[in-house]
Amino acid sequence: MQNPAAGDKRQNTNSPDEALPGRFAQQRPQRVLVQAPQDASLTVTRQPPEHTAEEFYVRQLIRSQLRLGCSVAAGLLALLVGICSLLVFWPVVSNIHLFHIPLPWWVLGVGMYPLIIVAGILYNRAAARNERRYRSISRG
Amino acid sequence: MSAGIGASAVASLLSVSALIVVCLTTMLIAFYGLRISRTTSDFYVASRTVPPWWNASAIGGEYLSAASFLGVAGLIVLSGQSGLWFPIGYTAGYLMLLLFVAAPLRRSRAYTIPDFAQIRFDNSPMLRKLTTYLVVVICWLYIVPQMHGAALTLSIATGLPSWVGPVVVAVVVCVTVLSGGMRSVTFVQAFQYWFKLAALVIPTIFLLSRAVPEHAASERAQSLYVQLESVNTMNMYETISIILALLFGTLGLPHVLVRFYTNPTGQSARTTTVIVLCLLSAFYLLPTTLGVLGILYTPELGATNETDATILLLPSRLFDGFLADALTAVVVGGAFAAFLSTTSGLVVSLSGAISQEFFKGTVRGFRISTVLATALPVLIAVLTSSLALAGAIGNVFAFTASTICPLLLLGIWWRSLTAKGAIAGLLVGAITCGTSLIIGIFLPATDQWWIHLLRQPAAWSVPLAFVVMIVVSRGTQHAVPENADRVMTLLHVPDHDPKF
Repeated sequence: MQNPAAGDKRQNTNSPDEALPGRFAQQRPQRVLVQAPQDASLTVTRQPPEHTAEEFYVRQLIRSQLRLGCSVAAGLLALLVGICSLLVFWPVVSNIHLFHIPLPWWVLGVGMYPLIIVAGILYNRAAARNERRYRSISRG
Repeated sequence: MSAGIGASAVASLLSVSALIVVCLTTMLIAFYGLRISRTTSDFYVASRTVPPWWNASAIGGEYLSAASFLGVAGLIVLSGQSGLWFPIGYTAGYLMLLLFVAAPLRRSRAYTIPDFAQIRFDNSPMLRKLTTYLVVVICWLYIVPQMHGAALTLSIATGLPSWVGPVVVAVVVCVTVLSGGMRSVTFVQAFQYWFKLAALVIPTIFLLSRAVPEHAASERAQSLYVQLESVNTMNMYETISIILALLFGTLGLPHVLVRFYTNPTGQSARTTTVIVLCLLSAFYLLPTTLGVLGILYTPELGATNETDATILLLPSRLFDGFLADALTAVVVGGAFAAFLSTTSGLVVSLSGAISQEFFKGTVRGFRISTVLATALPVLIAVLTSSLALAGAIGNVFAFTASTICPLLLLGIWWRSLTAKGAIAGLLVGAITCGTSLIIGIFLPATDQWWIHLLRQPAAWSVPLAFVVMIVVSRGTQHAVPENADRVMTLLHVPDHDPKF
């Protein structure tokens, strides 16, 4: 699946070790020419996939991951836009206050963050579950 | 730029020493990291062996810029409740990154966004060039506010001329990046997250310990509520546009994306992102608290448009003498940690992009590009005056949301995207969003709907860029890359992970 030629490390080592006798060979640091990966390593092979079944499972995986991502994102957007319009169209909520600070300040300044973190954790689990399912199907 | 606290000699001395300590520590860690950095892979992306906690701290350190450290509190003083949307957007943007980009991008084996464009469309050098230019523009737009922050901080805390701050930041960043590349940048930034957190936690505790008893006792407690309500806020269109810009803009930030390549696997990239969400949430509680204190103690800044100085001025409003000076020095140190970490992250991706494009990706080319990448923003920053930091960064987010974000989202999730579609969408997004932001700067801030549309373009320019990409791709279906399925497999199939 992955192009074996596309290693992360490309080093051109011209080792002068043979020229040096015995213990000096170990002390001499190797010269390394550093260079970014060249274009070839960024090319993914053009051959068609071998198994159509495999291709099908991959599409299923992509679809389920996309559905998962979109539903969490839609929930988040709906929540944020909902709070925003609530504050605009129903400003009475600002009259409620806690320790002399209006309720919207608590919701926006503190309350949103735990929600975002929980959404992240739940998504992370669900995405890993999708991948495990793909693994077990494509192996079996 | 006015010197806010008639900076006494002791205060200046303390602030300058805090600045020197931060700069020296940054450079020391950079040199320590150099010993480990060996190959190009090390140089660019730390060999992809950085554990999630380190990596998450580094991402947090890199992401929390001048806009977060100084700008959020400033914006809360300036626009009250609406200012609270900015830190929410910055954090939720990371959630979007987790949902759509983190794992696939890690698996793509790309170093930079242009690399991703090339992997996805290997027959389109033009798309690669275009993304490179966009990355360069975005990085520069993002570095300039950091430099403005540095100028503001140093001139307020010590009274030094405003060009000194940007020059200090540029020199330290150049030395850090030139000496060790990404490996040492990772160490430096992981350290700087915790440093920035501490630099806000300490003043916040002191300020609250003074402010809370004072308030509970007096009748000013009643006025707190009135003061919080009295600050003018943004209208609904502006707020929604900013939410969209921040949510989708984070996806396209080049310096943030480059960090994901340092995770060993796709799953670890996701774990890292969840930790980042926690770190960001913990951090943003502090500037929010300080912003509320700012409304109480430095409300006059709202009228002078120097609200970004709120956090710098608060200690001297609540305390006198040495304690005030020491707390100010801590904040100055933290602020410089913010400028240094964000700028070095941006410079790494910027010089990575420039050297790949113009110098064939050699280390020598990377070094030349680094100097180029820092010199120009310093010049721009010294010649221009600062906007509200959080607002300026918000504009950059709107720009990335209209350009890089649709390219990444559609490139990762939609196999029928074609190079022509991507180019058309990038151009339309960049031109419409860019011109309307530029026009918006020169227009007076009156309350007319079309001025709001121009000043906050994200709500229409982001959907527009998506629509153009999809429509043009549909029209050029014959040009879908032959290896599209292969690339999709590479991006989405879970990589080998010892945990499973």
